[in-house]
Amino acid sequence: MSAPQGTTSGLRYPSNKKTIYDRNLNRSKNAELSRAAFAYLFVEMISYAQKRVKGIADLEKRLNTQGYPLGLRLLDLLLTRTANPLSSIRPTRILPLLQFIAQTLWRHLFGRPADALERSESDPGQYMLYDNEPLVNQYISTPREMSQLNCAAYVAGIIEGVCDGAGFATEGVTAHSVGGESEGGDKTEREMWPGRTVFLIQFKKEVLEREEIMGRGGG
Amino acid sequence: MVVFCLFIISKSGGLIYNREFHAGMSKLTSNDYLMLAGSFHGMHAITKQLCPVPPTPVTPLSVAGAPAPSPFIGRPSGLEVLESSHFRMQCFQTLTGIKFLLFTEPQQPNVDVMIRRIYELYADYVMKNPFYTVEMPIRCEKFDRGLDGFVKVRS
Amino acid sequence: MTIYSFYIFDRHAECIYNRRWAAPPVPKSARPMSGSSMTSNGDHPAVRKGLSREDDAKLIFGLVFSLRNMVQKLGGDDDTFLSYRTAEYKLHYYETPTRMKFVMLTDTKQNNLRVALHQIWANLYVEYVVKNPLSPVEHPGGIGVANELFERGLDAFVTAVLPS
Repeated sequence: MSAPQGTTSGLRYPSNKKTIYDRNLNRSKNAELSRAAFAYLFVEMISYAQKRVKGIADLEKRLNTQGYPLGLRLLDLLLTRTANPLSSIRPTRILPLLQFIAQTLWRHLFGRPADALERSESDPGQYMLYDNEPLVNQYISTPREMSQLNCAAYVAGIIEGVCDGAGFATEGVTAHSVGGESEGGDKTEREMWPGRTVFLIQFKKEVLEREEIMGRGGG
Repeated sequence: MVVFCLFIISKSGGLIYNREFHAGMSKLTSNDYLMLAGSFHGMHAITKQLCPVPPTPVTPLSVAGAPAPSPFIGRPSGLEVLESSHFRMQCFQTLTGIKFLLFTEPQQPNVDVMIRRIYELYADYVMKNPFYTVEMPIRCEKFDRGLDGFVKVRS
Repeated sequence: MTIYSFYIFDRHAECIYNRRWAAPPVPKSARPMSGSSMTSNGDHPAVRKGLSREDDAKLIFGLVFSLRNMVQKLGGDDDTFLSYRTAEYKLHYYETPTRMKFVMLTDTKQNNLRVALHQIWANLYVEYVVKNPLSPVEHPGGIGVANELFERGLDAFVTAVLPS
C-alpha cells in the first residue's frame, strides 16, 4: 500500500489493466462468501436505511429499494450462467418465473431452494413464497416496538427486481413474518420455524391478462 | 449440573444483561443487581492490582486451537473464578472489556467451555443485530432463545 | 506450591499481622517479552511500584469485605466466601466466629486452604497470641501479634503443611 493511489487504480481501473468487466462471469460461480461478513454489512445497510425514516413501512420500502437493482442484475447473470444456452431465455409464463425464483435464485443466494410456493385462493394474481429461516434474518431479533418489521424486505426487493426485469410487472413484493406468535397458518409449523417468512407477490392485472391469452394460445 | 444465572457487564461497569436459569440464589431487585455489577467491576480492577507476581508471559508456540494471543500481554488477568460454599462464579472478560459472569454449582465442570459458547452466542445474536446499541441493555429474543437451548441441553 | 503473602485483620478492619514470602525466581523459560513495556522481569518480584504494604493490606481488606458481602447477598446469609483465582494467583479466605479475617495469597494450583487457615487460627493464633498473658486483648497496630513463638510456628507450619 506504499504506492500512491493514482486515479488509474481501483476497482474500475485495476493496475493490471483488467477491469471487473473483463473478468469471466462464471469465475465466481461457485464462490462462497463469509456469512459473518454479510451479517455485518447487512447491519450497516439497515442502520443506513433507518436514518430519516418516518415509520416501519418507510423502512421496509427503503430496504426493498436497496434489493431491487440486485434482482435486475441477478436475472441477467443467472440466465447467462445456465448450462444449456438454448434454455437461457427469460421465463415468459408466471409459473416458470416463480420456479426460477424459488429454485435458481434461492440456490444462488442462499444455497438451498425456497421452502414452499403457493397461489392465493382468494386472489388469482397473488402468489406466496415461503422461507422457513431467511438467511438475512438469521442474527436479527426485531425489537418489540417494531414487531411489524421484517428485514427480509430486502429479499422482497430482489424478487421484485427479478419479476420486473423479466417483464412481469408487480404491484409490489412484501415480506411478512408468519412464525412464532403471529396469527394464522399451522400452529406446529409456526412453533417449529419462529422466523418463517412469506413473500407476497402481487402481479399487475395486465400480466394476468397476458398470461390468460398465452394459456389459450396453447403455450 | 445446575447453572444458576448469567450476568453480562459492559466495559464501563453497567449491567447489560441478567438472566436466571435455575432457582437457588437470592432474588434481588434490579437496582441491587445494578449496584452489585458496578461494585464487582471495581473489585475486578482491584484483583488485577493485587497481583503478587509478574503475569505469566504467553508462550510463542501456544497449543493449537488456543485463542489468539491477547494484545494485553503482560497484564494481570483479574478475577477469574470465585468460590463460595453455595456456588461457583466464573468470570470471562473479552478483549473488548465485556465481562460474562456465570454462576453454577460449586462442582460444575467445564464452565470455561460453556462461557466461551455463550460469548459466541453473544457475538452472533447481539453484535450482529442491527437493532442493538453497544453498552445498552440486551433485549434480543434470539439471544435468549439460544441461551435457553444451550443451557437446557446441559442440565 | 508457592505462598506469596498472609494477612490477619481484626474485627475493626485493621491489619494486625502481615507477612510476605519472597517470590520464587522466574522460571528460565519465561523470558522477558521483547517489545513489552516491562523493563525488569528477571529476579525483580515486584510488578508495580508506589504501593506500600499498608496500602496493599487496605486494598485486600476492602476487597474481601466487598466480595464477602456480595456472596452473602447472592447466595443467602448462610453462604460464605471461600476463595478467588485469577490467572496469576489465588486468594484464600477464612473468617473466624469472632469476625477476624485470615487471608492468604498463593499460586493458582493450590487447593482451597480454608482448613489450613483454620488451623493457623486454632493452633497458632489462639495458642500463642490469645493465650499469651503479655499480649493485650485488642491489637491496635499489631501490638502483641508478631511475637517469636507465633512467627516461628507460622514458618514451621508453612514449611510442613504447605511444602513449596
